[in-house]
Amino acid sequence: MELRDINYNKSDYVETASGNKVCRQTVLCGSQNIVLQGKVIVQSEAIIRGDLANVKTGRFCIISKEAVLRPPYKKFSKGVAFFPLSMGDHVYVGERSVVNAAIVGNYVYIGKNCVIGRRCTLKDCCVIEDNTILAPETVVPPFARYGGSPGTQIGELPECQADLMVDFTKSYYQHFQPTKLI
Amino acid sequence: MSYITGPDVVKYACSCGLLKPISHLYFCRYCFQLRCSFCVCHEVDSNFCGKCSENIPSSEARVKKNRCGNCYVCPSCQQELSTRIASKGPVNPEDSKSTPKKMYYLSCQFCRWSSRDVGIPDQSTVTGGWPERENVHSNRLQELVDMYKAIVLAQKQQKDKDKKKQRGKFLSYTDRTGVTAAALRKRIGLPAEFTHPILKNKPKEPEPASAKTEVDEVPEQLLTEPINLMEITTVEQRLLQPEAQPVTVDKLFPVHKQLSIKRSLRCRHCEHNVSKPEYNPSSVKFKIQLFAYYHIPEIRIVTVEPLRAGKQCELIVKFTNPTQHQTTIAFLKLNMDEEDASLDSEVAEVIQDLDQTLSLQEKQQMSLTSLPLSTSQPSSLISVPSRQPSLTIEPRKISQEVNCDIEVPTSSFILPPRDDAAEYDDSGDTHNIQDDPKLVKWRKSNKAFIKLNVTPMSDLALNSEVVCGFIMQHIYTNTVASKEPQKYNHKVKVFLRLGQLVGSE
Repeated sequence: MELRDINYNKSDYVETASGNKVCRQTVLCGSQNIVLQGKVIVQSEAIIRGDLANVKTGRFCIISKEAVLRPPYKKFSKGVAFFPLSMGDHVYVGERSVVNAAIVGNYVYIGKNCVIGRRCTLKDCCVIEDNTILAPETVVPPFARYGGSPGTQIGELPECQADLMVDFTKSYYQHFQPTKLI
Repeated sequence: MSYITGPDVVKYACSCGLLKPISHLYFCRYCFQLRCSFCVCHEVDSNFCGKCSENIPSSEARVKKNRCGNCYVCPSCQQELSTRIASKGPVNPEDSKSTPKKMYYLSCQFCRWSSRDVGIPDQSTVTGGWPERENVHSNRLQELVDMYKAIVLAQKQQKDKDKKKQRGKFLSYTDRTGVTAAALRKRIGLPAEFTHPILKNKPKEPEPASAKTEVDEVPEQLLTEPINLMEITTVEQRLLQPEAQPVTVDKLFPVHKQLSIKRSLRCRHCEHNVSKPEYNPSSVKFKIQLFAYYHIPEIRIVTVEPLRAGKQCELIVKFTNPTQHQTTIAFLKLNMDEEDASLDSEVAEVIQDLDQTLSLQEKQQMSLTSLPLSTSQPSSLISVPSRQPSLTIEPRKISQEVNCDIEVPTSSFILPPRDDAAEYDDSGDTHNIQDDPKLVKWRKSNKAFIKLNVTPMSDLALNSEVVCGFIMQHIYTNTVASKEPQKYNHKVKVFLRLGQLVGSE
């Protein structure tokens, strides 16, 4: 199915020179530690915790409503330390998902209501289905479809998944248009 | 979107008769046929561990029973185990300078199982060194495996010997003179009894298993004591370790993680690769990628009017040309029974055309296959059969029911080639293509939005799924066989699931 236009209120969003569209109703803590590479959409009520550690996203990422990006921590004998969260290009994070991963590769699709546990590694070209709970420190290999609680591999992805994700995120960006005033 | 999360609304018919979304299809550009994962050869390229992304050679993988040597999964919930550090007190408490010794244990972050639960001592190294569980029956199993291997070997030797005998040019003297082998043996002073080679090399049989008639009595405690389900393993937990099959949770030991594979796919007709991944386990690139998504125009449903039985409604579909060559798309009526034969014969012509243009070397490769079409090549020219000739699969009948008439447009339309720079082009939709305004609603770079009229059959029940189908004929530009690109008409059967019927006329 072809995507429908997704309209937003122009006054609610800030568009940067590199094409990032960030909603004003978001919580971006420690904004000096957040890098959005360009053409990234951050929708309303999303939370990005840049105050804990660096958060870096690639190009054409979509952070849906009420999603949380939170850098992972690791416990040491002398307290805890936070690690940066890096995200590749063409990543989709669904609504109300919590991403605690250390590395999210390119062309990754994370569905709605997912919990990506502490210090997970999502390799390139993987899909996390809706309502999946990934245990901490899970490694998701390329071309794997994960689902369930605890998340396990439930299928494989076609070899052209990278192009499908590029097409999906690009067309999402193109269809994400301000409501036209009549 | 629907390719990633489903449902698949547009399906293409593979040459084997199965219906698949375009993302799951391959296009063999030597046979000009669509292939799917059911009609290609799967070959294992490399084994790797999904956790540590380490490539493991196939010989090593076989020895390790296709499991990773370093990574473990939890025997309780089958999630990956992680190594955790526990610092032990200093080696000698009097010396305050000595650093605490680090010990490692395995722990599951999901269900909190840990290697300490089952009494595995902590290790002093990060990876490896974990005690391997020896199977109690391993000796017996090895004996049996050895015996069967020996039998296979003996039979193979016998077969070779028989072959040699049959092929021998010279007749044996005993056949001419009528002196039997036994008589000859007697004359030259050998023992007369001659044992058959299979019997002679008969491998030593291990002790046969003996059936017991007496079994243990049912323990009375099963009936008297209440069961603590927390201590008993589930079926999944038992089947995770088929050789041990622990009954109680205190016998759950960590399991080595199963390896994943990378595989290449090969067309069964022409034995060319249609997909070959790169060697690196974490790479998502391909050395050979003949996916239909890159060669066949993609069709997507944009909008469809509410479907009413017997009433014509408008369907807008989007066509995308993924290739670097301009193509023309025409529609043909789908007739489920008749057109199978005609489609096949057309393909045959195309392949014979191609056959003439191919170089000699490629010709030989083609004739190696079981292609019934390349009969012009005498079979004696086959040099060395490098591989087993593949099986030819009879295409099966398409099982999809079509319950919606489609008004097949008589005019065709052009799709320009894909241009990656087009998205940065702000000059607007300037194109000088003469379109039928009834057919083409709108177009942009390599995409066109096409209007079709569909009529669900009048006898359909409410809420039944409406499916329509047509044949898409597009021009495929082949750049493989010769230097000059050649154009072929390629036909694909396409099925669209339009949704549910909302009412009648």
